[in-house]
Amino acid sequence: MSSKGQKMGLRSWLDDRLGVSAVFGFLRDKKIPQHRHSVWYYTGSAILLFFAIQMITGFMLVFYYNPTLEGANTSVARIMTEIPLGWIIRSVHSWSASFMIAFVFIHLLSIWITKAYRKPRELTWISGVFLLLISLAFGFTGYLLPWDDLSLSATKVGTDIPRSIPVVGVWVTRLLRGGDDVTGDTLTRFFGFHVSILPLFLLTILAVHIYLVQKQGMSVPVSDEKKGKKLKELPFWPNFVYREMVVWLILTGILFSVAIFFPPSLEKAADLMAPAPEGLRPEWYFLFLFQMLKIFPSKILFINGDTIAVLLILLGIIAFFFLPLIDSKPAEKKGKIITAAAYLFIVFAVAMSLWSLLS
Amino acid sequence: MMRKKKLIVLCSLIIALHSFVLLRHDFAQQVAQEEKTEMTKEHESQDKIVSGPKDIKESTGIYVFVSWMWLAIVVLIYFLKLKIKEVDRLFEIRYLSGKKK
Repeated sequence: MSSKGQKMGLRSWLDDRLGVSAVFGFLRDKKIPQHRHSVWYYTGSAILLFFAIQMITGFMLVFYYNPTLEGANTSVARIMTEIPLGWIIRSVHSWSASFMIAFVFIHLLSIWITKAYRKPRELTWISGVFLLLISLAFGFTGYLLPWDDLSLSATKVGTDIPRSIPVVGVWVTRLLRGGDDVTGDTLTRFFGFHVSILPLFLLTILAVHIYLVQKQGMSVPVSDEKKGKKLKELPFWPNFVYREMVVWLILTGILFSVAIFFPPSLEKAADLMAPAPEGLRPEWYFLFLFQMLKIFPSKILFINGDTIAVLLILLGIIAFFFLPLIDSKPAEKKGKIITAAAYLFIVFAVAMSLWSLLS
Repeated sequence: MMRKKKLIVLCSLIIALHSFVLLRHDFAQQVAQEEKTEMTKEHESQDKIVSGPKDIKESTGIYVFVSWMWLAIVVLIYFLKLKIKEVDRLFEIRYLSGKKK
């Protein structure tokens, strides 16, 4: 049998069992609209790229990492000094987390501004916000794992924030810490969340999100939809995928270059009894929330300022979840006000982060 | 034809250079193993461990790797651009013939 014949035989064998030709047929038939906002379509697959890099480097790191009070900092030091190219793997893992969260923010903000969440894509948006929260949880739990002074203090501050929520606050803080204070139990707990519970949640919701994106197709801007004219389209496979590959290559190059030339350092092992170090700051993506909590007055009309700030943040998250339902008329005045709110949010987050960095 | 030949020669050169550098780098890593175990002990008494290449050999290897990586990316993007042109043309032809029908 010729190699072409063998290939066809294998293809039909697989097709009989898996039905792959239907998937390829679907991908060939899927069309990507071309317009001035098409560039945002590439952010989704960029997130997937960084997530894949995170998984691969995470698997490599977990072979050497020891999630115990005595072993955590030493094992990270060993990865950085003894394991061949271990410092690069750790740096790529750390930087790809930052890149991934940055792209999740860009992806969601672009959807907010172009109103791609409008009917019938409400559930796609809600699953996307879930993915943002899980990504942030990945960042928060991963920050403690090197177990140095800075990560310990930042986790103490971070896990103390839910305490201000009335009724359930103390319970949430204890649940996160595995006790009253941040200890070795917290470290083990955070490691468990980081490597098993969060990936499980993320993969499940990601599958739902991708299914919804495929089912609903790509959204077009409101202005083009209103005009009702037929937009130019590209087939997803292979025309759009080749274009995505160019973006993936560039992003991989940037990620590796940044990771190699700006690797994260490691402080000495955390001392549970030591006071918080100076210049305590969370990761960049929590800076605006951190600064907001910092500048909030301690008391507002007999009520604890922290409680009001945390409740405001929770309210903001709930509103963000249900944005497609709040923005029920995207083409009208209400929709324009909600778009303006997106720009205001960007200005607020950047200003607060810069304030925190400079103060 | 000449252009194709030049490209094949360039790609082979890149692959050969890459394999040579990585092999050399791996060997250097193995030789330096014992020294590095000592380095970890030394770091335990330090306040901060700064990441980065340990010696000039590793540092050179890293620079070569980054240059190789960007070169490979540029070559791959060039090939992908050719492919994009080709598939777009095919799509356009099919699109037009579909319209004529």
